[in-house]
Amino acid sequence: MSNLVSFGYIVPELLLGAMAVILFLLSAMRRRNLLRKTIFPGLAILGLMAALSVLVNRTSGGIFGGDPGCISGCSLFFGLLATDPLADFFRILVISATTICVLISIGSPALPKGRTGEYHGLLLVMCLGMCLLSAANHLLMVYVAMETVSLCSYLLTGWDARKCRSREAGMKYVLFGGVASGVMLFGMSLFYGLFGDLSFQGLHLALQGSGALSGAMGQWAATLSVVFMFAGFGYKIAATPFHMWCPDVYEGAPTPFTALLSVGPKAVGMALILRFFYSIFLFPGSMETVIGASGQIPWLLLIGIVSAVTMTLGNLAALVQNNVKRLLAYSSIAHAGYILMGVTAGGQEGFEAVSLYMAVYLIMNMGAFAVVSLVEKASGSEELQVFRGLGKRAPLVALVMTIFLISLAGLPPTAGFIGKLYLFAALLERGGFWFLMLALVGVTNSVVSLYFYARVLKSMYMEKADTDLPTIPIRNPAAVTATALSFATLFLGLFWQPLATAARWSATLFH
Amino acid sequence: MDIKTSILLWIPLLPLFGAIVNGLFGRHFSRPLVSAIGCGTVGMAFVLGLVASADIFASNGEARLVQSVYAWITAGNISIQLSFLLDSLSVIMVLVVAGVSFLIHVYSTGYMRDDPSHARYFAYLNLFVFSMLVLVLGDNLPVLFVGWEGVGLCSYLLIGFWFEDPAKASAGKKAFIVNRIGDLGFLIGMFLLFGAVGSLSIDDLRAGTAQGLIAPGLATAACLFLFLGATGKSAQIPLYVWLPDAMAGPTPVSALIHAATMVTAGVYMIARLSFLFAISPTASAVVALVGGLTALIAATIGITQKDIKKVLAYSTVSQLGYMFVAVGVGAYFAGIFHLMTHAFFKACLFLGSGAVIHALSGVQDITKMGGLRKKLPWTYWTFLISTLAIAGFPPFAGFFSKDEILWKALSSTSHAPWASWVHLAAYGMGILAAAITSFYMFRLVFLTFHGKSRLDPSIHVHHEMKSMSYPLAVLAGLATVAGWVGASLFGIHSFADFLDPVVGAAQKTAVVMRDFAHNHSIEWAAAVGSVAVAFIGLGLAWLLYIKSPDTPWRLAERFRFTYRLVFNKYWVDEFYEAFIIRPIHAFSVFLWRIVDVVIIDGFGVNGPARLLKGIGHVGRRLQSGNVQAYAFWLFAGVAGALLYLALAVGVI
Repeated sequence: MSNLVSFGYIVPELLLGAMAVILFLLSAMRRRNLLRKTIFPGLAILGLMAALSVLVNRTSGGIFGGDPGCISGCSLFFGLLATDPLADFFRILVISATTICVLISIGSPALPKGRTGEYHGLLLVMCLGMCLLSAANHLLMVYVAMETVSLCSYLLTGWDARKCRSREAGMKYVLFGGVASGVMLFGMSLFYGLFGDLSFQGLHLALQGSGALSGAMGQWAATLSVVFMFAGFGYKIAATPFHMWCPDVYEGAPTPFTALLSVGPKAVGMALILRFFYSIFLFPGSMETVIGASGQIPWLLLIGIVSAVTMTLGNLAALVQNNVKRLLAYSSIAHAGYILMGVTAGGQEGFEAVSLYMAVYLIMNMGAFAVVSLVEKASGSEELQVFRGLGKRAPLVALVMTIFLISLAGLPPTAGFIGKLYLFAALLERGGFWFLMLALVGVTNSVVSLYFYARVLKSMYMEKADTDLPTIPIRNPAAVTATALSFATLFLGLFWQPLATAARWSATLFH
Repeated sequence: MDIKTSILLWIPLLPLFGAIVNGLFGRHFSRPLVSAIGCGTVGMAFVLGLVASADIFASNGEARLVQSVYAWITAGNISIQLSFLLDSLSVIMVLVVAGVSFLIHVYSTGYMRDDPSHARYFAYLNLFVFSMLVLVLGDNLPVLFVGWEGVGLCSYLLIGFWFEDPAKASAGKKAFIVNRIGDLGFLIGMFLLFGAVGSLSIDDLRAGTAQGLIAPGLATAACLFLFLGATGKSAQIPLYVWLPDAMAGPTPVSALIHAATMVTAGVYMIARLSFLFAISPTASAVVALVGGLTALIAATIGITQKDIKKVLAYSTVSQLGYMFVAVGVGAYFAGIFHLMTHAFFKACLFLGSGAVIHALSGVQDITKMGGLRKKLPWTYWTFLISTLAIAGFPPFAGFFSKDEILWKALSSTSHAPWASWVHLAAYGMGILAAAITSFYMFRLVFLTFHGKSRLDPSIHVHHEMKSMSYPLAVLAGLATVAGWVGASLFGIHSFADFLDPVVGAAQKTAVVMRDFAHNHSIEWAAAVGSVAVAFIGLGLAWLLYIKSPDTPWRLAERFRFTYRLVFNKYWVDEFYEAFIIRPIHAFSVFLWRIVDVVIIDGFGVNGPARLLKGIGHVGRRLQSGNVQAYAFWLFAGVAGALLYLALAVGVI
């Protein structure tokens, strides 16, 4: 599609970009206190809502029957971006996540007062990058979008410059992210060198194996480059062994931003992995086997192994954490492993499960971080011991946290249970020894994870509070947001059908 | 769906509504309001039952209504509808259950007037009526089973209604546990049937039986397992032990649940599945034999009991035995017939005993009563009528139904070669039990109402209350006339004809009729015989308890061992305690101390937990905080992935 026509499809991104520019300009002006407090979050939410409403308006017909929308082949800007249900679903997710992040940032002590405008501007730019990444259909676009997300993330991680830990986290993130980007870029350049093309469609055609590159050497060269690229993608979703940055960065970053960091990049990373592997290596319409020139190379099993190792390592390391933020960081690594189970399973069911779990994970994980942010704001720490006696001190907050933890552990009647159900069902549906083994590893891991989530519960309800722990104010946007998210968690645990419908729609690309 | 069909759902729903309202808000209501909700919902259910059954009465049992509410369970190839069935069999059950329940609710407004937990009582009682109606209306075995478990739950709740008393609470537990043993049999029976037919709806099972999907051996197994369920719910050997203890509950509860309705569920279930029991002569013979034995043994225990309610409890066990004889010898309609008449006269007897207990402020020992005839005239006369009915004196209801059972047992024989003697034995035990029934019932009447008063002088006898007397009168009236609808001696077969569409086919194939089965003279002779034994029982009771009241104690001294054996209920409870409960308890302790604490907790749970935590510590050490190390792991990952792919493809 030509560039002029293409602009019509990226209105949400344009809106986000425009609002980011406005925010940067406003914050550059001399400002009064009154303005600063409400206008920046307000404008950010305005921009996000505008983008979201455009998206919802565009997709609602497609999700719930009617026009299926532009399913495939609608590539924008001469193939740089795709516009399809998968992209739109994940765009909605990341815009929602950014909105939640803005809401729980309000009044957070981790954010220096003077630079609120830039903070929100950067959030919007990062959201813009994530939107582009979920639609990227071309390796060049992948790189540009990923760097946009990464650069904003580096800045925002180190945002609380008063704190040594925050600065350290930002620095580590830059270093590790730089290495990961380099590795990925190396893979991409190899690919370009081999095939002379960077678009996914082009790669797909090339790998189907016509010409000189269909031989063993060609396959190996392609494999080498894909593994390098996978390292870059794995870094974005924090899959083992590319996850090492994750605990340090999550712990050091301002908590409201950690909430976004733990779901947004992971979501678009998953979208990218889905799109990349299944549009390059698979013929449209035949999901069952990995075919093409790389037919013998067991990509699915490789991802399966990464999935198993990721969740096991994440969960085991979480067992021994005493800092709730760090505990949730390992928990989010483990969840990346769970979600990769859906990628491995593949097929309509697998993708549906990935989309569904990503949405569920967004709600419950951001909710849990929102509660951590509240507790941190009141007591100045996020160690496990400040959660003691929360059930008595702040019954509502404790209850909300309980719902999130139960959901993260994957127990009914919460959304987390439904999400896991879909993931395991996809694996079982797929069948086969290794897939069943992976499901077994997943189930065992869920059991293990129960332990550390229950540790927080035990702290909140069964351990005595230290005398001077403060109560937690609940009349603020963050608490309200957390409560709303807990309602959503319960609601989706009972009536998940609309979400499942949307998730199925998002996977129509792979029919 | 026409209006009469859509009514079916509301018959059980109304009492459920009453249970919910009284259960949740009853504490804040006035007592009359609670009573009105309790009685009103059940009364309306009865009226709805009448409305819904109009067509069935008009067509003399041919019509049937089925209401499918929604698909309750759908998983794989299982599809179970929540659906209700009203045919001639369930019409009788619905009307008896709702009608007797209504009367007992009314009676309870008087009996439970001063109880602090008035609202809780009515909520439980309504919940019971709901469950019982679901049981009798269920169109498939799972729905029936929901009712079956529901009545068990309510029975437990109401036996332990005064749970502050540990003895009463443990009587409730005993009832529940014994019933659960039976329920296991019921479940296994259902699984067997589902395995064979692939459905559990009554119609599918009937069709499956007709098509021969159920092999004879399987049918016998399924029937015996289902019968195990029936022995639990209907208090038959070997699971009858809970019913006498169940008398710990309030007396109206004993009348409703442990005499008139719930305990007959097993009989109903067998009649409902008559087509299945009919193809298994072995199972039917077992049912008849167990029924006969129970009838006889429970009757003998009844002779020696001193607690007015315990006498009636054993009498109930014994009468239920008759019903199982009936369904065992293929006379399904006779079983239901006796079920109905028994519901009336036994409810009346229990309510009468409740009136006595209420008047005497809680005295239950009949050796400490006597001479109450004048002080409690309503109670006395209704009690006497019901006693005549249960003892089998014409023209009262019990005569016709019991005689029908005995005649059917005498005039038929089993298909099973080994069981040719069973029907005759059941008849023998039945006629013997009939004599004993007459004896212990009149013993009860004479000791309670006749002779000199042996009351503690400090006890003031209360007046009879109208709310308690009127239900007694209605039930006594029914106990008088209800038998006439099936007086086959006089050529009236309306009851049998009414049930014919449901159980008729099974009745014809279940057993072999003897050659004299249609000989009226012999039928008359048999009837005269059973009246004669009733008179013998009455005469003996009169001799021992009116003429020379000292004799019983001398007899008890003389036949000391026999007396103690019977008085202590053949030591069955002690036997169960020593040979079943103790070993299971010991085994449980073993499971707890050794298997659970040492093996599962020690090796199974804590061991792996420590191991995992240890690994977690190692994993944490990897996270050194050193960015160079992180980058190293990244490259290690890339290298590892390449190595794996190379190995998997077989290049290296």
